[in-house]
Amino acid sequence: MSRRFRTRLLTALVWACLLFLVLPVLVVIPVSLTDKTYLSLPSDGLSLQHYRGLAAPETGWSAAMGKSLLLAVCAALISTALAASFAIGAWVRAGWWPSTIRVLMLAPMIVPPIIYAVGMVRVLSAMKLIDSFPGVLAVHVVLGLPMALLAVVASLSNFDNRVVMAARSLGAGPFTIFGKVILPNILPGLSAAAFLAFITSWDEITVTLFITARRFATLPRRIYTSIADSIDPALAAIATLLLLATTAVLAARLFLAGRPDDPAAR
Amino acid sequence: MGFLVIDQLTMTYGQVTALDDVSLTVKEGEFITLLGPSGSGKTTLLMSIAGFNRPTAGEIVFDGRQITGLEPEDRDFGLVFQGYALFPHLSVADNVAFPLRVRKWDKARIRARVAEMLDLVGLAHLAGRKPRQLSGGQQQRVALARALAFGPRVLLLDEPLSALDRMLRETMQQELRRLHRETGVTFLYVTHDQQEALTLSDRIAVFNKGRIVECDTAQRLFRAPKTRFVAEFLGENNFVTGTRQGGRWTGLGTGFVLPPDRDLPEDRSAATLWLRPGDIALGPAGAGEIGFQAVVEDVIFAGTSSGLHLRLPTGEPLVASVAAEISAAEITGKTLAFHARPGAVGVIPEGA
Repeated sequence: MSRRFRTRLLTALVWACLLFLVLPVLVVIPVSLTDKTYLSLPSDGLSLQHYRGLAAPETGWSAAMGKSLLLAVCAALISTALAASFAIGAWVRAGWWPSTIRVLMLAPMIVPPIIYAVGMVRVLSAMKLIDSFPGVLAVHVVLGLPMALLAVVASLSNFDNRVVMAARSLGAGPFTIFGKVILPNILPGLSAAAFLAFITSWDEITVTLFITARRFATLPRRIYTSIADSIDPALAAIATLLLLATTAVLAARLFLAGRPDDPAAR
Repeated sequence: MGFLVIDQLTMTYGQVTALDDVSLTVKEGEFITLLGPSGSGKTTLLMSIAGFNRPTAGEIVFDGRQITGLEPEDRDFGLVFQGYALFPHLSVADNVAFPLRVRKWDKARIRARVAEMLDLVGLAHLAGRKPRQLSGGQQQRVALARALAFGPRVLLLDEPLSALDRMLRETMQQELRRLHRETGVTFLYVTHDQQEALTLSDRIAVFNKGRIVECDTAQRLFRAPKTRFVAEFLGENNFVTGTRQGGRWTGLGTGFVLPPDRDLPEDRSAATLWLRPGDIALGPAGAGEIGFQAVVEDVIFAGTSSGLHLRLPTGEPLVASVAAEISAAEITGKTLAFHARPGAVGVIPEGA
């Protein structure tokens, strides 16, 4: 077997793997354009009817999307704020208790979601918060916390805490140090934390399924219900929109924030 | 009343005593070095003065004011770290402006002061750079400019040059002396490098095991150490045991007399004698000199000089530093005559 042939074979194999990863995802695009009323590839012509269906208020898709968006944004902000305040406090004052609390805060990542869901059903029904925005928000904040915490801790671990000592010796009080010294240096970590917490909330289904019904149905919940009782091509339309949004965000990040090797860009 | 007075400071962490009853009086405008091996308490003392350590007992008085319990941000002391600790997200000029913005100076005054400080450390052309675009020496200059910008009366330096290579360290030593001279600020400088301490300081406080062993000018500590620790830590040294009978010493040689100002008190008769390697010369003793015989065990070439590893008839080892022209093959293994001036020999009483 010649060397050139082997190289080509390898290249083909790599492309096959990549296509295997991406193609099943891309198939939603033609399906979303089908002219039929059930999940299928378009046969007689293309149609945008399912996209129109998404926008129509009576289908409830846009309402679910709005709820999920609001929920994910709130959960991301709260998780990141909590994670950051804990991480910074623990970083400034090292000791045995911060590491203990950290294990506790990472627990939602370790405990199986189904177990957590059963527990939360009991807690939220006792508090009469089941199927409500505050109830779901509380759960999503807890679920997003470990992700946010790991991201903030990682960015702090690269930050020399003698810089804080230097700032104090130069006369800066706690608020100045937080705002002018710590925050600007962990901003990338904070945005990563918020992003991870947002994603966690945005596609959370296991626990959400247990603690929501009709009143506060998030987008994943709505998708789940819709798959269970009908095979609406609107699902493909939603998937396509999400795919486009994700691609747009990644592309923007690549072009705007990218070039980490360039010292002037940071 | 001193300018900065450290009074019986003690600091314990659990079982460990980092500072043990340390007292030190610093004069205004002085360059004082805290010198000692690592873990001897010198950095602990510096950080207590900066306010980052709470002493277990004792007090710190600055300009007549008790500052022991004051937060670091309220002390107005400049502080320079080994790792520079510059603000990575700010430019050189913004780093230097930081303490001034905290103190709410007006903009024009800040701009003028930043320019003045960057001129002082010779970095005016790099004002717009970020710290990570600078070399180690440049970063340390920025740290110095930043720590001096708000006009502190005391500058605390924690091993500021130990991250730099040797050539740069020597340049920065001169730079520090110049800054000290030009600003008139009191410098408190921590180092484990005895050469650096000798070069820079007006006075050196030598630390060991959480205590100040001796505190004096570099010359006096080097020429007349009162303790074995200082005699050993500052510069190279040889130690032999000596005894005195009827005013005459036996130890290095026999029957020699020491100058009265270097001799032991009348009531003692045994001591450790020290003699620096550079003060030992080859050849028989002249009048009034101390002569002794020793076996040359090894000759180590060190550029301008050679180190002769000697053994006295008593079995005690000795190092002599002599001109490098000597031929190693000719003298190794031979017993030769050496001599030294009595004025070069020091005496440390037993137990000191």
